[in-house]
Amino acid sequence: MKTDDLIDALAAGIEPVKPARLSMWMVAGAFAVAVATVALTLGLLPDLTREMQRPPFWAKTAYTGGLSMAALWLVTRLGRPGASAGLAGWSVAALVAVAGLVGIVELLRLPPEARMDDWLGFTWRVCALYILMVSVITAPLIFVAARRLAPTRPMQAGAAAGLLTGSVAATAYGLHCPEATAAFVATWYTLGIAAAATSGAVIGRFALRW
Amino acid sequence: MRPGIRRAFSRRSCNLLRTAREWGDSVVDREAHLKGLMLLGLDGDVGAWRVLLSDVRPAITAYFKRRLIGCEADAEDLVQDCLIAIHAKRATFDRAMPFTAWAYAIARYKLIDHLRRQGRRGTVPLEDSTVLLAEHTVEDGAVRRDLSRVLSILPARQRRLVEDVRIGGFSVAEAAARNGFTEGAAKVSVHRSMKTLTASVKTHED
Repeated sequence: MKTDDLIDALAAGIEPVKPARLSMWMVAGAFAVAVATVALTLGLLPDLTREMQRPPFWAKTAYTGGLSMAALWLVTRLGRPGASAGLAGWSVAALVAVAGLVGIVELLRLPPEARMDDWLGFTWRVCALYILMVSVITAPLIFVAARRLAPTRPMQAGAAAGLLTGSVAATAYGLHCPEATAAFVATWYTLGIAAAATSGAVIGRFALRW
Repeated sequence: MRPGIRRAFSRRSCNLLRTAREWGDSVVDREAHLKGLMLLGLDGDVGAWRVLLSDVRPAITAYFKRRLIGCEADAEDLVQDCLIAIHAKRATFDRAMPFTAWAYAIARYKLIDHLRRQGRRGTVPLEDSTVLLAEHTVEDGAVRRDLSRVLSILPARQRRLVEDVRIGGFSVAEAAARNGFTEGAAKVSVHRSMKTLTASVKTHED
């Protein structure tokens, strides 16, 4: 096809567009899938309604939910040609740093013999692994949604999409996980989310090409 | 303004001025023109969209041809790819951003993707997005590098003065005011600097 004809054909088919962003339906769907996966395979906390009245549960949810918001912003930015991570990237780093600091302060205020229990809880061996497993099921929806954008750095954009997937999965996993100490969440939840982001970077190279 | 910022700013405006003078078409005007078309296109204006695609075409053709020495035949395919991408991904344009930066990022991405598919490792330098507007050539880049190396022997204040007068297109009086010289001192300083530069180039060539 001649380039002139191509230009004519493209111009003829133009319609008004709204600024591209991740479909909120897809992200909400991803969260629903993550919750369903947790509920069906791991089971929700038996005393979830009581747990939901306690601040530690909400602090945990605020952390993973906040990371989801920051990751959503980051994916949208990296999905725009010519834009860089910028403030969105820093907000992710800031959230992780704050969680880490709160965790450290919490540990320092405990008597030394109680610190290991606070940090490792009962489930530290499986926490990151379960978050990664839930992420695998959640990822397709997030990555399909991200394909509507135009990431010019597929690895970075993939990492951001992985971060979003991991945070959404971690928020859902919080409904199963009995642990809610700051040190535990800041370490093992963050580890699971980071694993999802790393996998996302690798997947992005293939899945986010356009 | 801090000196670092002022220097970066003056260097940028100096680059812009130079390009504008050399090509008779202001980069700033061109960006405004293209962005205007882009905004119309986003609202579904068929005519504006056709003009925009036709107007960016020579720039991206030159961009690909220059970077695909030896396989220029692929360039036209890439141009079409890139035009389709500009069309299909137009919703990712942020109305607050320059059009050129957006289009350049797409062209660069398409080039890297093309090189990767060919199995070559895509190493495409990240340039200022105005390369799409200014018809730079490879020689132009080499000259610029030589120029900045030669100029680097001057103290910063003299250097800025010389850049403003000899490259940036300012009059001696303007350049003196910009860099905090009196006009007489500026004249003497430029004259001495040029002598120093000439001497340094001669010793290098000997």
